[in-house]
Amino acid sequence: MSRALRSSGGLFSLALAWAVAAAAAGEEPARKNAPDFAPAQWLERMDHALTTRNYDGTFSHWQGGRVEMLRIIHRVQDGNVSERLASLDGSGREFIRTGSSLACYLPDRRTVVVEELPTEESLVGFPTVNDQTASFYDIREVGHTRINRRVTHVITVSPKDEYRYGYRLWVDDTTAMPLKSQLADAHGQVIEQIVFASLTLTSRIPDSAFRPEISTTGFQWLRNDAAPQRQPGAAALAWSAMRLPPGFRMTVRSAQVLPGAAGAVDQLVFTDGFASVSVFVERQPAPSGPPPLPESATVGSSSAFSTVVDGHKITAVGEVPPATVRYIASQLKAQGAAPVGH
Amino acid sequence: MNEELDSQLSAMFDDELPPAECELLARRLSRDEPLKARWGRYAIVGAVIRAERGVRLNAPLAGRVNAVLRAEPALAGHTAPRDLRHGRLRWWQPLAGAALAGSVAAVSILWLRAQTPGEAPLTAHLAPPAALSAAPAAAAAQGDSYIVPVPKQPGVTVPSTELANYVVAHSMFSPPVARRNLLSAFMTSEPATAGTEEPQADVKGIAQ
Repeated sequence: MSRALRSSGGLFSLALAWAVAAAAAGEEPARKNAPDFAPAQWLERMDHALTTRNYDGTFSHWQGGRVEMLRIIHRVQDGNVSERLASLDGSGREFIRTGSSLACYLPDRRTVVVEELPTEESLVGFPTVNDQTASFYDIREVGHTRINRRVTHVITVSPKDEYRYGYRLWVDDTTAMPLKSQLADAHGQVIEQIVFASLTLTSRIPDSAFRPEISTTGFQWLRNDAAPQRQPGAAALAWSAMRLPPGFRMTVRSAQVLPGAAGAVDQLVFTDGFASVSVFVERQPAPSGPPPLPESATVGSSSAFSTVVDGHKITAVGEVPPATVRYIASQLKAQGAAPVGH
Repeated sequence: MNEELDSQLSAMFDDELPPAECELLARRLSRDEPLKARWGRYAIVGAVIRAERGVRLNAPLAGRVNAVLRAEPALAGHTAPRDLRHGRLRWWQPLAGAALAGSVAAVSILWLRAQTPGEAPLTAHLAPPAALSAAPAAAAAQGDSYIVPVPKQPGVTVPSTELANYVVAHSMFSPPVARRNLLSAFMTSEPATAGTEEPQADVKGIAQ
């Protein structure tokens, strides 16, 4: 068992200081009577705040009866995004993004996974809430409440079918930052929760805040420095889904070499405007035994499903129920040569 | 209608009825007209009550349930046993498959509960593939049955490093909140969650 705190019931009590330093960030004064925004507008404001503001916060992450504290530092400076997410009392893992470089420090594996993304990919691809989203989710504001003396708008995003999860979000009235969020399944059962214990919005965050705290001496580093290269004469297959869950559409198709992988991996991203699923396609070595069976895995509340189609390993990953990644992966078919890129 | 049945119906709507009892009640519901009518009233009353707490009735799903109920005379009365023998689709199956049979009434109302996770009855977060989860419900619906163990075969593994790659690559295309959840879950997952394989010799590793 890790050093993570485990809860046997009730909320993990937090006695940490709360400091939304709005003034330091040049924020507007707290608006007790903020203009009325539609629920979807609150979601847009929240996404904008999460991606454009500088903030340093500590939050509890609850999932499966397990509570762990994490720290997140986010900075946008001269158009470059830096972010650091660190586990404070568990595995010691850290995720650091500086510009187009993503580094995942896994001290429990003595491994660092580094991925270099093309610059143009670093800030694109976020699904946005639109009219189509409303067809598959019921988005409502169900009230106002206070979290650590901050006025929040409680926004619920309820799925209309079993292909997606729902959210309940407590969005700060002044900053539009989500101070608390719950992920719920189609039955309304909360399966994951994040609650900020402290949050500071600040105008400046030093570069030193984005350095890992752990020593990486002796660690294995896995990188994807090389651009994807295919064997001469081997045209890229156009993988696409024959059918998709209602509302999902493909928004991204790219080829890349993932750290540690031998060959190019195709990535297809499907989204319904709120949830997204990536499907990775890799050529499989010639099988030596019986055909492998499909396999499922989970990362927290996210799901993964892997299978083999026409000599290619298909793996779908997304913050959706297991049945959804399974469905999408099973619908993938190769249809011939295709251009690579967005 | 006796109180016990009434209580069961209420529990069914609150998603508090054990799956086995839910299954039995669902079967009775398909052939008991008074109960069916009461089910309809519960749907309305429940929606109104819950709406006061920010809960809504999922109209399309509830409508589908009601439509199926109305269009299922063949399963009423004495014809049901024959239908069961011949394995015809039961009224809940067109909704979402047998995996949802145990909670058919619950799926008609979707809500986000106000309780904190510690207070809420938590469901398993690691859901089995739909085909596997469907098996017990289907077996229960068809009476006595048994399961022949499937011989274990090698699976398509998702090694930890590979899964880490996928998670990181996918996170770049997730909405901000979902991305934070995804990465947080990855940060806090037990090492065993993502596999335990040793670094492979043929990967492009660079020791530092």
